[in-house]
Amino acid sequence: MTSVTVSNKEISGKQLGIMLLALIGLLIAGGMAVNNLLVEGHAAYNTDNLGLFWGFPIVIYDYFLLTSTGLAMVASMALIFGGEEYRPIIRRALWLALAGLLGGVAVLMMELGHPLRALWAIPFSFAFSSPLYWKVMAVSFYVISLLILQVRMLKADWRMQDLRINAMVTLVLALGVTAIAGVVYGSQSFRPFWASGDIPVAFIFESLLGGLAFVFFFTYLAYAFNPAAVPESVKRLFNDRLANLLALAIFIHLLFVLARMSSGLYGNAEGLQVWQTLATSPLFFAEIIIGLLLPLVLLMYPGTRTSPWAQILASLLVMNALLISRYEYIIGGQLVPLFKGSWAPELLSYAPSPTEWLLLLVAIFLSNAVNAFGEVTLRLGREG
Amino acid sequence: MAKWGMVIDLDKCTGCQACTTACAMENNRLPGENWQDVLFYHEGTYPNVKLMWFPRPCMHCENPSCVSVCPTKATYKDPDGGFVLMDYNKCIGCKYCQVACPYGVRFYVDEKAVVQPDIRGVFPSETGRQWDPPYKGPQDDPSRGIGIQPHGVVSKCTFCYHKVSKAPKGVADLDEDIPELKEYVPACVRVCAPKARFFGDLDQPNSNVNKMIADKRGVRLKDETGNKPQVYYLSGGATASVPSLRSMSDSDKG
Ligand code: SF4
Ligand code: SF4
Repeated sequence: MTSVTVSNKEISGKQLGIMLLALIGLLIAGGMAVNNLLVEGHAAYNTDNLGLFWGFPIVIYDYFLLTSTGLAMVASMALIFGGEEYRPIIRRALWLALAGLLGGVAVLMMELGHPLRALWAIPFSFAFSSPLYWKVMAVSFYVISLLILQVRMLKADWRMQDLRINAMVTLVLALGVTAIAGVVYGSQSFRPFWASGDIPVAFIFESLLGGLAFVFFFTYLAYAFNPAAVPESVKRLFNDRLANLLALAIFIHLLFVLARMSSGLYGNAEGLQVWQTLATSPLFFAEIIIGLLLPLVLLMYPGTRTSPWAQILASLLVMNALLISRYEYIIGGQLVPLFKGSWAPELLSYAPSPTEWLLLLVAIFLSNAVNAFGEVTLRLGREG
Repeated sequence: MAKWGMVIDLDKCTGCQACTTACAMENNRLPGENWQDVLFYHEGTYPNVKLMWFPRPCMHCENPSCVSVCPTKATYKDPDGGFVLMDYNKCIGCKYCQVACPYGVRFYVDEKAVVQPDIRGVFPSETGRQWDPPYKGPQDDPSRGIGIQPHGVVSKCTFCYHKVSKAPKGVADLDEDIPELKEYVPACVRVCAPKARFFGDLDQPNSNVNKMIADKRGVRLKDETGNKPQVYYLSGGATASVPSLRSMSDSDKG
């Protein structure tokens, strides 16, 4: 008992350290990004009018948003369908969902032309025909339901059955946000690289995969990557059900990516030629082989499946693969310029600018600072 | 109520870019950020090269995807005239409309200048507009996307709303050759030397534009998108017409 208490204190200290580091990182990266934007405006980004309208900032925003909804899905499904064995991960996943969302939204605000105007112009527009309108409305309700759940779990003796209705609402909203995010792209029928009726479903599985990977990684981080400090209840859960679920989610995501790739490579529609370039790029190979297949093997192979280090590595690789996947999808759908004539290349080229990379750091540092704050003040890992 | 439309005769267009220049002057466009452009394409390799061109304004679609995706209703279809316009005061610069326009005719110009040196540095604006050129069009109506483009918003062709909307009610065609109407003709139409552009009311069966569309089998660009452009292209009446893949809209049914 004594040793656990000591270790909790140590862990708290380390989380405080993470929070401070993240805050310092946020100040530096955020300061540099804001400075660049003040000096150059949106010329600090590499997006253009030739056809690449949504660049890396939108990739980052969607990545963090969908990771957030994935975490909320994992937590709320655990509350609804899971048993007590899921208890140790639920609060952490829900808090992380809030932290991730904050990081993503911060980046979105730095990408929009008029971020403050968006706060009133979207909700009061009643633009029912726009998927983005519904996305913003759904995200707003989603945040409220996450906060309510979090507040109701502040008491040490919260009971899973009391939170089921709340969890159902959260689950529906998380699914809604993710599906609508898919519709934003999937509905663009003249962009065959994006357009497909199953994109919302693919997004949901991708989110779930992200949620699971983040649960693994940030739980280990909460214990300062010290496997000895991880409680038995968490280890049991990770080594058995969650490892299976993570492997299954990787497999399903792989199927979606490979299915889209095969149709894309054989398809003839204007826009699908992007697949010819994409499928032979080193980034794509890294995503599939190192980011998805290797973690799948690590989680299936009995020798590594229960190793904390293999689980940490697998989740980290998946987190990166998902970022690449989101990048390829969002950018890939815009690479063929529309009606720009011979002056435009057949395929646009795009690489994030230094300021756009800084925005990734902003999102990472901000989410980590908020997450570590929760670990310190809310004691997310407590069993009660 | 009119439904203004444009007809562009590709057999007559010489690719001279007078329309592009007139539009840029009329609307104080930044160099290279052309609401109206003539696109040049080439096929083959030297010495067997074929050069082609294609004039392309905003299509002022009947069923505009830019309008349906806008989360703030900053871009909208004016029921009186069928113009697709921008309200600069509502736009948040999310660029979804740019992504969703199949014709690539919407402009967010806060990024790196297309033409160097960046003219915005030479004529900087103090009022939140992109620039402050020495000559400015007298019209300024941010709620309709008329005037110099402000920062952080998307802009687009207005079909010269500031001219066309003042035309006498009930007129079927705006023809620059009719002296009392020429002030109401869109800039790109008015300057077209070979008279490849025509502008009129698509809702009036006897308008010249409707007759040309019928006689020369006018086609709409990328009709499969369902956007239903109000800009029609003519390319010779001898060929078979390209049928629309869409069911008829209420306005088609009359
Ligand atoms: S051409 Fe594009 S910008 Fe113009 S109305 Fe149609 S969808 Fe909108
Ligand atoms: S950029 Fe402006 S006009 Fe375009 S969709 Fe966004 S808010 Fe609407």
